[in-house]
Amino acid sequence: MRKKEKGRVSPLPVVVTVLAYFFILLPLVVVILASFSPTPVLKFPPEEISFKWYANIFSTSGKFVSGFVNSIVIALVATVIDIFLGVTACLSVSKYNFKLKNVLVNFFTSPMFIPSITFAFVLLQLFSGIKGMPAWSKILIGHIVIILPYIVRNTLAILSSFDWTLEDAAASLGAGPVTTFFKVTLPVIKPGVMAGALLAFLYSFDEAVVSSFLTNAKFSTLPVRILNYMEFSFDPTIAAISTILILGSLALMLIMERVVGLDMFLKT
Amino acid sequence: MQRKKGILLLAAPCAIVLLVLFIIPMVYVLVSTLREDGLKYFVKFLTDTFYLKILWDTILISVEATAICLLVGYPVAYFLARTKSKIKNLLLIATVFPFLVSAVVRAYGWMVVLGQNGLLNQFLQAVGLIDKPLEIMYTYKAVLIGVVHLLLPYMILSITSVIQSIDENIEYAANSLGASPVQTFLKVTLPLSTPGIVSGCILVFTLSMTSYVTPKLLGGVKFRMMSTMVNQEVNVNFNWGFASAISYILLFCILVFQIVATMATSGTLKRLGGAKNA
Repeated sequence: MRKKEKGRVSPLPVVVTVLAYFFILLPLVVVILASFSPTPVLKFPPEEISFKWYANIFSTSGKFVSGFVNSIVIALVATVIDIFLGVTACLSVSKYNFKLKNVLVNFFTSPMFIPSITFAFVLLQLFSGIKGMPAWSKILIGHIVIILPYIVRNTLAILSSFDWTLEDAAASLGAGPVTTFFKVTLPVIKPGVMAGALLAFLYSFDEAVVSSFLTNAKFSTLPVRILNYMEFSFDPTIAAISTILILGSLALMLIMERVVGLDMFLKT
Repeated sequence: MQRKKGILLLAAPCAIVLLVLFIIPMVYVLVSTLREDGLKYFVKFLTDTFYLKILWDTILISVEATAICLLVGYPVAYFLARTKSKIKNLLLIATVFPFLVSAVVRAYGWMVVLGQNGLLNQFLQAVGLIDKPLEIMYTYKAVLIGVVHLLLPYMILSITSVIQSIDENIEYAANSLGASPVQTFLKVTLPLSTPGIVSGCILVFTLSMTSYVTPKLLGGVKFRMMSTMVNQEVNVNFNWGFASAISYILLFCILVFQIVATMATSGTLKRLGGAKNA
């Protein structure tokens, strides 16, 4: 009897759940449909399928391809730098208890509590006084700061369950601190660091606020190129490029589910 | 001594980068704004009902978005945490995956749905519910829909993680002692899931207050929030002093909210005791 009751959920949550996922998925499905629309305005149901908006991605003046490459490079460089900064910072506050520990943890995650628009404006104002600074370096600096908390939080979470006696064991066997870190600590905390790095990378790749304030005509990231394109035209080229991004995210999601599981999203 | 040196050495790179690229610029720009214009632009903002209305709208839309996310997100989270069916993983994927899709793309999706010739108007006209297309785009409603869509996954995940960690046997115990399902929910499950509700609400409210892409695309120039006002002052009116004042007023509101929320909820969470680490 009790076995049977387990796992049964009353109808109200089920109905709300169905409606909620309809709401969550609706705009994404609509974007995918719009990308195959033969007409600039999506008619439902569509009469035929067209791929011309996909071809348009490469031929318009939107410069989406270079934007994509720029986004990838910025996200990659910022993530690699932040893995170093974040992991060393987390090691400093994880092994020992000391008075200022909580202050330091809050400091390392502080960019999270600041509105991106405020930070974007601050960097714009700051860099306007420095002549000759290329746009990519401004955007990179902004991203290094705003994605750092994602790596710090995930690394701290996994370090909190790390058994520090393992390090002492390695040390007593003659390994130096650096060897100990690479041979003992890093292999254990790697999943947490990787999960944080992945989130940080995606945040940077999708980021549009700081980037749009610091961009210029020569260097821009993909989300900013999309935003700018939308100011002048509203044709389904945007839908086509959005579809590619949606399917890319979905693929990444499925890989993540297989490799690290989705539990990292279910942590308080 | 050795230990202290190690901590300092490890903390230094990150601390220096944050100080130089984040804390010092944040303070420097505030100080230079105050030095150049004094409190002129802060006073301008706080004495003009036009601007105060924008701050009020920003707060109101964030409160409403938080309330809607909670009302919709809680039952979904409950379902996700308690269902044993295989659909759970599929739904979890559907919750997390919009996270990974840019806010630009998601707002664009709503533009296609809500626009004058959008799917919603086409549908309502085909069914015969309306004669003229509804004007939803570039209104409060459009931005609210977009913000709820953007932030609902955060609420669902915050609450799911907490409900999942509540021992189901506590619910069975309440049941076997004669509590009805509704009583069990109100007296047991709901109080124990407070930490998830609190963290979800703080997160959603903060992210809504500071959202930029969604109000820019769905609110346009007709419905403005604080963040799109900053953009307006920087790129259209070229009044950087005023943009600075608006940026820091928004920052101030967020910090006050974070501090008040943390202080107000730490008491409640303490009273719940064991549930805190749930």
